[in-house]
Amino acid sequence: MRAVRAIAVNTFREAIRDRILYLFIGFAVVMVAGSKLFGMLTVGDETKIIKDIGLAAMQFFSMLIAVMMSMILISREVDSRTVFNILAKPVRRWQFIVGKYLGLVSIVAANLVLITFVLMLTVLVVAAELDLMLIFAAAMTMLEMLVLAAFATLFAVLTRPILGSLMTLAVFVVGHMSADLWLLTRQLPGALTRAVIAVVYYLLPNLERFNFRTEVVHDLSIPGAAVGWAVVYAFAFVVVALFLANLRFRGKDLK
Amino acid sequence: MADIQLSVRDLQKTFHPGLFEASIEVLKGLSFEVARGEIFGFLGPNGAGKTTTIKAITEIIYPDAGEITVCGLPHTALEAKKRIGFMSESPYVYRHLTGREYLRFSGELLGLDRSGIEDRISRVLEDVGMASRADRTMGTYSKGMLQRVALGQALLGEPELLILDEPMSGLDPVGRRDVRDIILTQAAAGVTIFFSTHIIPDVEMICDRVAIVVDGRVRAIGSVSDLVSDEPTSYEVAFVGALPSDLRTPLEAHHVAGGASWVRVGAENHDSLVQELGDRGATVVSLDPVRATLEDLLMRHYEETGS
Repeated sequence: MRAVRAIAVNTFREAIRDRILYLFIGFAVVMVAGSKLFGMLTVGDETKIIKDIGLAAMQFFSMLIAVMMSMILISREVDSRTVFNILAKPVRRWQFIVGKYLGLVSIVAANLVLITFVLMLTVLVVAAELDLMLIFAAAMTMLEMLVLAAFATLFAVLTRPILGSLMTLAVFVVGHMSADLWLLTRQLPGALTRAVIAVVYYLLPNLERFNFRTEVVHDLSIPGAAVGWAVVYAFAFVVVALFLANLRFRGKDLK
Repeated sequence: MADIQLSVRDLQKTFHPGLFEASIEVLKGLSFEVARGEIFGFLGPNGAGKTTTIKAITEIIYPDAGEITVCGLPHTALEAKKRIGFMSESPYVYRHLTGREYLRFSGELLGLDRSGIEDRISRVLEDVGMASRADRTMGTYSKGMLQRVALGQALLGEPELLILDEPMSGLDPVGRRDVRDIILTQAAAGVTIFFSTHIIPDVEMICDRVAIVVDGRVRAIGSVSDLVSDEPTSYEVAFVGALPSDLRTPLEAHHVAGGASWVRVGAENHDSLVQELGDRGATVVSLDPVRATLEDLLMRHYEETGS
């Protein structure tokens, strides 16, 4: 576990010393803090609009960071050949994969903590309300990012960085359209088309399972079972994606 | 050979670059053994398979066939990897880390005892001459400094076998001397050194034994003195006067300047040449034996294989 931890910490350290990360975080913080402006310009409960926009920004920028960081996650190690000195040491390839994954996850988590803090502070200042459910919504976004980061790691091993990032982005987009995909399988003519869409539906995660934004913003009750299943669902996808990433990386010659 | 630290037997590797590109057979049954405590040079031209062999030993690539053992253990065993210190061909390091942070990271990967890791890092930094620059980010280092830190991470785990891929390549004379000194110090401490190079003087200066690898195979192996015979391969003869045009002895080379001549003749013909020159009244000034060098041997293998 020490090797995994060392690789994760090094990945995290590399990211936080990269200026591009601060650009994203800066945008995210401005977006969340500036949501009061949107609240003033829109008809409706200002606090709810701030929460809604803040949570949406939190999800969007976390996704963006996961996608961007996945571009440099493994390819930079391989292209700069720093991976040689890691793998020549008593380190298994799966430890490298898991370490890189945990590094990516910790970057996203740090970003989420910061944005959640800014959002809670904004709500506190505007509405004098300390909404702890925002932490719950952030935790659910983190679950979604765990899944997305696992796919980013898999694609980083399978293909080139830009293509891998586009594929991760595609998982995010399609993952939020899962319900529509399911409807499509019932509406479309042609058994083959329906079968193909059904395969995509089952292979890719339904990221809407982690979306409790409406419930949090409108103070609706949240079924415990839905949360429990979301946790199990996320970890199942993480395990499968990392297993496949390891399977591909295990026998790969590094030149 | 007693107490083998590194054994490579019949190693084969073919790369398949792509669907429409021809396969490249890099290793064609390469074998050698390195004994405990020796400095073993792995000499060959670019593309001979040196780095591929090292990558196979360190599990960066997977051979198609063959067997590798380190200290009697399969090279893939974690216990075997703990005994290896490895420095890759170019100093591939993290430019965002300081030298000290990089060594700390390496120490964590090696599983070094946390309580002693800082002391160990400081000692290694002293050994490679980087103690005063250890807290600067490596992005600001020169190539020589990067090489030293890379060597430091290889030494950190107190390895039994040090594998160095072209450790002196691209260094200035001072840097080369320093790396050479570090290698000799490690060898004196009982560490087995396996290093690849295409720089012949490095091999002649420090290696106990050398393997000449050309075109994916070991073509010759032994000590430099074993490989290069003490017997002269030719003689250089200098004499006063012009070079006679009707010499019967076949010459390998000749040169005439300022009333004196210089010729090179095969070792088997030098007696007859001296006799012939005497018969024609020429005064022989010098007769110098020419012995084959490692470079000659290497060139001969290159020519034989068309490398």
